[in-house]
Amino acid sequence: MIVTVTLNPAVDEEFVVSEFRPGGWFRSRNAIRTPGGKGINVSMMLGQLGYESAAMGFLAGFNGAYIRDALRRERLTTNFVHVKGETRTNVYIIDETGHVETGLSEPGPYIPEEAYDRFLRNFERMLQRTRLLVLGGSLPPGIPQDVYGVLIRMAKEFNIPTIVDAAGPSLQSALEAGPTIAKIDHRFMSRMSGISLTSLDNIIEVVSKLHDQGVEWAVTSYHVYGDVFFTPQGIYLAVSDRRSILSLFATADALITGLIVGGEERMAVEDRIRFAMACAWEDAMHVEKGFTSREAIEALMPRVQLERLE
Amino acid sequence: MRIGELMDRDLTSVTENTTLREAIEILSQHNLTGLPVVDETGILVGFISEKDIIKASLPGYCDYLSGAAFIPDFNQLSEKLRQKGNEFVGKYMTRKVIAFSEDDSDLHVALSLIQKGLKMAPVVRKDGSLLGFVSRAHLIEYIMREEPQE
Repeated sequence: MIVTVTLNPAVDEEFVVSEFRPGGWFRSRNAIRTPGGKGINVSMMLGQLGYESAAMGFLAGFNGAYIRDALRRERLTTNFVHVKGETRTNVYIIDETGHVETGLSEPGPYIPEEAYDRFLRNFERMLQRTRLLVLGGSLPPGIPQDVYGVLIRMAKEFNIPTIVDAAGPSLQSALEAGPTIAKIDHRFMSRMSGISLTSLDNIIEVVSKLHDQGVEWAVTSYHVYGDVFFTPQGIYLAVSDRRSILSLFATADALITGLIVGGEERMAVEDRIRFAMACAWEDAMHVEKGFTSREAIEALMPRVQLERLE
Repeated sequence: MRIGELMDRDLTSVTENTTLREAIEILSQHNLTGLPVVDETGILVGFISEKDIIKASLPGYCDYLSGAAFIPDFNQLSEKLRQKGNEFVGKYMTRKVIAFSEDDSDLHVALSLIQKGLKMAPVVRKDGSLLGFVSRAHLIEYIMREEPQE
């Protein structure tokens, strides 16, 4: 079973408006409410591509009940710890005229120590049946900053490959534990390394060091529409066409989903990168999270520009 | 229809070593009437319901009245529950659990739940590992939703 962990889920509310600006009052022509958080997004997108997974983490209050019910309707397996308080709401405003996205995020509910302990006991039990672990997103108040490192080390005891997409100290703790695949927030890596990561050479220099920590694959964004992939077979720059992109919301989760499916289907490295990029691209072509169809993703694969870097 | 099509794939569960206090908290927070009990590998080993917990606190009344509906004194129950709170689920759970496979038919599951007077029951894989649960509410919701066949 593929297990996704979302410690700080959210109800994502997307509003599409024209000519959005601070200080104005806007009526959205379209509002979309969906369960969110990186792991949950990956679980839902995997489901769209026919892959079962189980979603874990913490839920609270009315928003938590909404997420729980929405995932049940999608027939996803869940194993959340419910806590007091309220699961956060994330608001995204998509300006379809100016092609600008604005986001607003809450911190999430406080997680008491006993709820965290209960999560760890559930997690350890889930590991008995896990073949791939996906960790991602921010941490709610009360959760230790090194949690991703702890979870990756627990998974490694069962020889379970791990994927992490995070930022800040939680990413640092994950990298120290050596995940199999890491989606690197390049602004954080830039701060950690003290090197400006605007040039490809600098990115390669900093991210290549992660291989020494046991990270097999590392992915980091490059100039918004491109990603650099550090793989066991070399380093690749992949770029999609910016003209057809409507919203970049949740595209990183679509990319992770593509990498997972590529791995499950034993695609060759270059095909796996193309598939992951096409997943992110297809997701970015519409406001709704997720994919129109597998065929739509595959149709984009040949259009992904892929260059192997020396 | 297979029960796998309408079951809830939620794995919320406890182990035999969970205290009754924690089980009550989980029942309340998850809005459930019972919890599957699993071992460390996720294999179903029992089931604990809210009725089992009340029965643990006031066994005489429940046995005598065949139910927990006529609790005479909340102070008495409250005191007993506090005393029992640190005891383990394993002592009070039902070990002979009625569980279903996801290939079981909706009709078979509905009849079993009604005949046995159960509000919910676990669904397991062939190896006995927990897959989720099915409830009377799921079945009623499904029956209401389905269009009549011509």
